[in-house]
Amino acid sequence: MSAYKSRLKEFENLIIEDEIDIKKLRKFIHSGIPECAKYRALCWKLLFNYLDPKKKNWESHLERQRNNYNNLIKDLVIPPSCKNVDLSIDHPLSDNVDSTWSTYFRDNETFLLQIDRDVRRLLPDISFFQMPTAYPCKLVVDSETDIRLHRRVAPSVLSSANVERKGLGMKKINLIVKRAPENYEAMQKGQEANWEVVERMLFIYAKLNLGQGYVQGMNEIIGVIYYVFASNEDHAEFAEADCFWCFTNIMSEIRDFFIKTLDETDMGIRGMMNRLVRMLELKDVHVANRLKEQGILPQYYAFRWISLILSQEFDLPDVLRLWDSILADENRFDYLIYVCCAMIILIRDQILENDFEHNVKLLQNFPPMDINYVLNRADQLAESSST
Amino acid sequence: MSKKTYDLLFKLLLIGDSGVGKTCILFRFSDDAFTSTFISTIGIDFKIKTVELRGKKIKLQIWDTAGQERFHTITTSYYRGAMGIMLVYDITNEKSFENIIKWLRNIDEHANEDVERMILGNKCDMTDKRVVSKERGENIAREYGIRFMETSAKANINIEKAFSELAEAILDQTAGKENNDNQERVVVDRKNQEKSPAYSRCCTS
Ligand SMILES: Nc1nc2c(ncn2[C@@H]2O[C@H](COP(=O)(O)OP(=O)(O)O)[C@@H](O)[C@H]2O)c(=O)[nH]1
Ligand SMILES: [Mg+2]
Repeated sequence: MSAYKSRLKEFENLIIEDEIDIKKLRKFIHSGIPECAKYRALCWKLLFNYLDPKKKNWESHLERQRNNYNNLIKDLVIPPSCKNVDLSIDHPLSDNVDSTWSTYFRDNETFLLQIDRDVRRLLPDISFFQMPTAYPCKLVVDSETDIRLHRRVAPSVLSSANVERKGLGMKKINLIVKRAPENYEAMQKGQEANWEVVERMLFIYAKLNLGQGYVQGMNEIIGVIYYVFASNEDHAEFAEADCFWCFTNIMSEIRDFFIKTLDETDMGIRGMMNRLVRMLELKDVHVANRLKEQGILPQYYAFRWISLILSQEFDLPDVLRLWDSILADENRFDYLIYVCCAMIILIRDQILENDFEHNVKLLQNFPPMDINYVLNRADQLAESSST
Repeated sequence: MSKKTYDLLFKLLLIGDSGVGKTCILFRFSDDAFTSTFISTIGIDFKIKTVELRGKKIKLQIWDTAGQERFHTITTSYYRGAMGIMLVYDITNEKSFENIIKWLRNIDEHANEDVERMILGNKCDMTDKRVVSKERGENIAREYGIRFMETSAKANINIEKAFSELAEAILDQTAGKENNDNQERVVVDRKNQEKSPAYSRCCTS
């Protein structure tokens, strides 16, 4: 108990400084954040480089970033009909292909539909994403017309957009549609579910990064970050804007995982999987050989482990604890590889015993395990490598 | 290690656009249940089920893939070893049906020449949302000489049947290879699609 208290004290001393020593903080957080319900959101903002170590810069920076995000919503989410567009030249029924409206429909087709499907099934084991947020986006929920993003991909709207695409004339476009029954989860006027917030952030991210667009799995990563911010009272009000920028920052580090053409590069997903295999060969050659003999490729399991930063392999509280260590690591994706390697070694006895199928199943459904046990093992691996 | 409890091992693959119901179909087949809340499949998943066909115990090793373009380099590497491939579209989603052509091309490029294929029009319980008629599914299947069925993972329509017919086709093929006298070849079925049992009537549309 007193050990815990002195650890907490040490931590509070670290973050009370006007200029936080990030190096020390990283080192400290590697073994977890004390009072994590209270401090995790703040620590992650520092680890994502969203907050500067100098506290005096925080206020103006946050204000600017939140304003910027608000402008993105206005530019990219609010449909043209709700802005003061001259309807005679840019009307949905116009056949000017470059019209704002045709962009609007193209986005629906290319990625909004996929985002919509994925955010609805985000972390289904907890109810958080189905619950209303206390801080809905006023621009959206108070709008006269229903401008929620998922309405654009409701089946009836989409089929109208399809008609347009096939060149049968734009006359069929009818934006005033009845709410489809599967939208029953949608909130009442003035309210918004957390999954709708995530949908908006992913939509904006995809619009700003058209080359990459939306890739499945991004939903899981942003979902974790948003959960941490939105479930902390002190951070909930601006959770959306802050989460968006933190997500943008982490994506700049891991975007190679999500780009097909970079698969073969070092930071691409295949490069990362190869590193895992090589590490396993060094640390436990029996297991490595066993997997090789059985033809169990890292693509079968490590593809998901790495590209989603293990967010689907453990329960949420454990994922958060795991991310504390991974985000705190200066070479954070090296540490991720250590954790993956530790996971395999911790089930080595079963792997050496099992046949192909059981091993694939085991690796794809990692057995419940004390997360600290996994982290300790990863630390040992990292230490034995550095000496 | 467990000793061999089956006579034959067939490797099957499920492909198709994201959201058409591949994971649900597989879950219905392997666990006989339906949940509407599957997280999106990232990369590739795997299930096993043993079925009995013509007195033989056949172990089906079924791989479920992610549909999004990004995952194709990862998933096409599984095509090669597959003996049967199910191409799934969603009868309430026009685009997923149009993309069947694209998926067929993928098979041509990456799978074994003699791989058994089957097209499934899933979600046939959603009659009021249907946008792809059954005839269109049948036509494309006929055009390419492939088996076809409408299914519903939710209402448990034709799921069991789809897998056992695909397995049976593979069994015919392997039997044909072993023994040339066996004229019960797949090719024959393909010429007689109209009468073939593969053309089972599901949801009356
Ligand atoms: N009504 C209906 N819905 C289905 C059926 N099969 C799947 N779904 C729904 O379609 C969505 C996507 O299913 P999923 O299996 O994850 O699709 P996948 O991306 O192809 O693996 C889920 O919300 C399911 O509940 C079906 O037969 N009928
Ligand atoms: Mg799936």
